[in-house]
Amino acid sequence: MSENINPTKTLNVCGKICPYPDMDTMTTLKKMQKGEILEVLLDYPLSVERIPRNLKKQGHRLISVEQISGPNHRILIEAHGLK
Amino acid sequence: MTAVFGGLFVRMLFGFALQRGRFCTNSAIRDAILLKDNTLLKSVLVAVLVAMFGFAIMVMAGVIKYSPTPFFWGANLVGGFIFGIGMVLAGGCASGVTYRVGEGMVSALSALIGLTAAATLTVMGFLKPIKDYLQTSTKIMVGEANPTLANILGLPYVTLALILAIILAIVWFIIARKNKEESEPKSNATLVAKIFKNGWGWLVTGVAIGLINMLAFYSSTLAGRSYPLAITSGWIGITKIGLAVPDAKMGWDAWMVIGIIVGAFIAAIIASEFKIRWPGWKLIAQTFVGGLLMGFGAVTSAGCNVTHIVSGLPQLGIGSLVGSISIVLGAWLAAYLIFVRPQNK
Repeated sequence: MSENINPTKTLNVCGKICPYPDMDTMTTLKKMQKGEILEVLLDYPLSVERIPRNLKKQGHRLISVEQISGPNHRILIEAHGLK
Repeated sequence: MTAVFGGLFVRMLFGFALQRGRFCTNSAIRDAILLKDNTLLKSVLVAVLVAMFGFAIMVMAGVIKYSPTPFFWGANLVGGFIFGIGMVLAGGCASGVTYRVGEGMVSALSALIGLTAAATLTVMGFLKPIKDYLQTSTKIMVGEANPTLANILGLPYVTLALILAIILAIVWFIIARKNKEESEPKSNATLVAKIFKNGWGWLVTGVAIGLINMLAFYSSTLAGRSYPLAITSGWIGITKIGLAVPDAKMGWDAWMVIGIIVGAFIAAIIASEFKIRWPGWKLIAQTFVGGLLMGFGAVTSAGCNVTHIVSGLPQLGIGSLVGSISIVLGAWLAAYLIFVRPQNK
């Protein structure tokens, strides 16, 4: 399903330490327009669980969490567009 | 010797649980203000409550020797605060960076090298006089004993710990019901997948760490050490062997940290979460400095996040209480300066 979606922006936070994957995702989302899609590539297990958990509070919508291989994941998010 | 090796299983279990539950005091404390996410904080509190109840029962049964940390307010305050700042820079507390080495995070390894170096320098190097001064000039005792909530109030530890654990659990339950807290999402995964493949929920993690801490206390008592889980002392022990310090040997704590890495490595491999992760030189430098601060802080305050929060709070020691509060304050200040403030600009 998520293969058909074209992300507006891609954020690669592989290798980053706690809490940069979460922080970078949230800051990027804040700058995006409503309806734009952010693709996050990450390999940090805690953030794979934590980012989806905290999106709702910011008003953004989780589209999908996909495992690419091993710890490598791809998260697709639709920005709420607070700006 | 059997006692030392006999505990290896407990340690690997600890590493396994840390990795599966993503249990890290730094994330727990920092997330509460940074991401408004209390999930890991709840794990930590559950672990403290379970251990408080468990230690009390075990002291009552006479299988462990009650051993609260010493109270030297100056050292607890300064050391804890510096430790708190350090763990935010390092991206993990003492146990957090230890288990993440088992996941293949190079940044955690650099933090660990910093922690070990500074800890060793504070125990026996040029930082020793600072630690000694802070510890001896502000030390307070109750009679012959280290001050605890119990001996200050004049109550037996077992009674007070049991009462406190039960009251705190009830208060929490009421607050949770009032807030209609979302229970953890139900999943249809098999039990095996839940244990080995998916991350654990906060309640399972907290209970597991609490129970493992009880096992650790017992196992360490058999080895003649008599303290529950601790991290920094283990790394100092290993360094002393590396430096060929006379009389240095692999003690319970030293095997502890090895066990955590092996346990976390096994957990990460099974869950296919192991990967050598390179964060870039800038983060390597940042985590190393964080590690240095943690190492100095932990030795000065006579405890890292595990000794003070996970193992010390359940024993109601005043030193651990003050140490824990300082760690939280240091972490919040650092999280505010590094992450929150730049965002508001």
